[in-house]
Amino acid sequence: MGRYFLLFLAAFLINNILLIRFIALCPFFGVSSKVETSIGMSMAVIFVMAMATMVCWLVWNFLLIPLKLGEFLYIPAFILIIAALVQFVEIVIRKVSPALFRAMGIYLPLITTNCAVLAAATESVKPGFFKLNIQYGYAIPEALVYTLGVAVGFTLAIVMFAAIRERMEVAPIPGPLKGYPSAFIMAGLASLAFMGFAGLFGL
Amino acid sequence: MIQIWEDFKSGLILENPLLRLMIGLCSALAVSTRVENALFMGFSVIFVLTCSNVIISLIRRIVPEKARIPIFIVVIASFVTIVDLTLKAYFPPVYEQLGVWIPLIVVNCIILGRAEAFASKHPVLRSMADGLGKGLGYTSVLFIMGTIRELSGTGEIVAFGAKLFYLKPYFEPPKIMVMFPGAFFTFGLLMGLLNWIQRREGR
Repeated sequence: MGRYFLLFLAAFLINNILLIRFIALCPFFGVSSKVETSIGMSMAVIFVMAMATMVCWLVWNFLLIPLKLGEFLYIPAFILIIAALVQFVEIVIRKVSPALFRAMGIYLPLITTNCAVLAAATESVKPGFFKLNIQYGYAIPEALVYTLGVAVGFTLAIVMFAAIRERMEVAPIPGPLKGYPSAFIMAGLASLAFMGFAGLFGL
Repeated sequence: MIQIWEDFKSGLILENPLLRLMIGLCSALAVSTRVENALFMGFSVIFVLTCSNVIISLIRRIVPEKARIPIFIVVIASFVTIVDLTLKAYFPPVYEQLGVWIPLIVVNCIILGRAEAFASKHPVLRSMADGLGKGLGYTSVLFIMGTIRELSGTGEIVAFGAKLFYLKPYFEPPKIMVMFPGAFFTFGLLMGLLNWIQRREGR
């Protein structure tokens, strides 16, 4: 149990995917101008990410490794899985829950090119990409916990940032720095704060 | 001919993928810690972008409209795999540093974005010029950021085994510049600078 908790924490705070690992910055700056849209986007990300990691883990361990194709085919295989999964999830959600579809429908196609999904899937089958202190391959519960940590970390950062950006709209900022430049400097400060978590529990 | 030159030129400043279109940010911020890394990443992106633009432009008439995204992604993923394995075989130290960012070129929005917005609608030569221009725009921003960050963060620039600048005796380098927050600060200020210059010119 303790190990799962540490794994979650490592992915959630210490290696926060947006502010420490620099992954998925495009949706971060793209949709984080309103709290509401950023919540919709992050719900879709949590959902797709968990599904994608599960499927990629199965394909890696039961298809690519036995066929000895892992090194050569993992990039096309995983990205195709993610693209197909996003389409599939979109169709299912539209049928099952129109309300949910209205809430996160427009964000779903965007997730295909969200690098966080590919990064989390790759990390959970080929640990060591993010240089966490883990030398063994993940079993499926660990892969899932890790991915959830990544996705919740994404949510935390993007929602927090959206709230700050709503306030910054009305703040007196010098002309050339208005909009995106000041958002980047803000992200730098937030990243500085998150660096304080490094070394927590020796991770 | 003039048209091709225009396509090439637009990527450098007016439609610079990083500073103007705001795509492909994640990798740019993450790998610009050192000039050498920035150059390797930049050339990888130029290679993938140009090749995939050419192939997609060649097949643009036979690709069915509905299946285009997966087809484009497979084309891009093949070139990324070439870069991935080449760097791993011939430049292991660089591969060690760039790590996860090479596979993530697949989901780099610049490449899919150009395939979708330009190469799938234009003839081969123009697509090639567009790919080269956008790739060069990306590389030059990466180079500028790498120079600023390496010089201010470590006090020296070491590229390909040669020491190009050495300013250590003159100031105590703030280490934060080569860490995560430094990337956000540098990029935000660079963007602000470009805004300021354009504003002055427009006046």
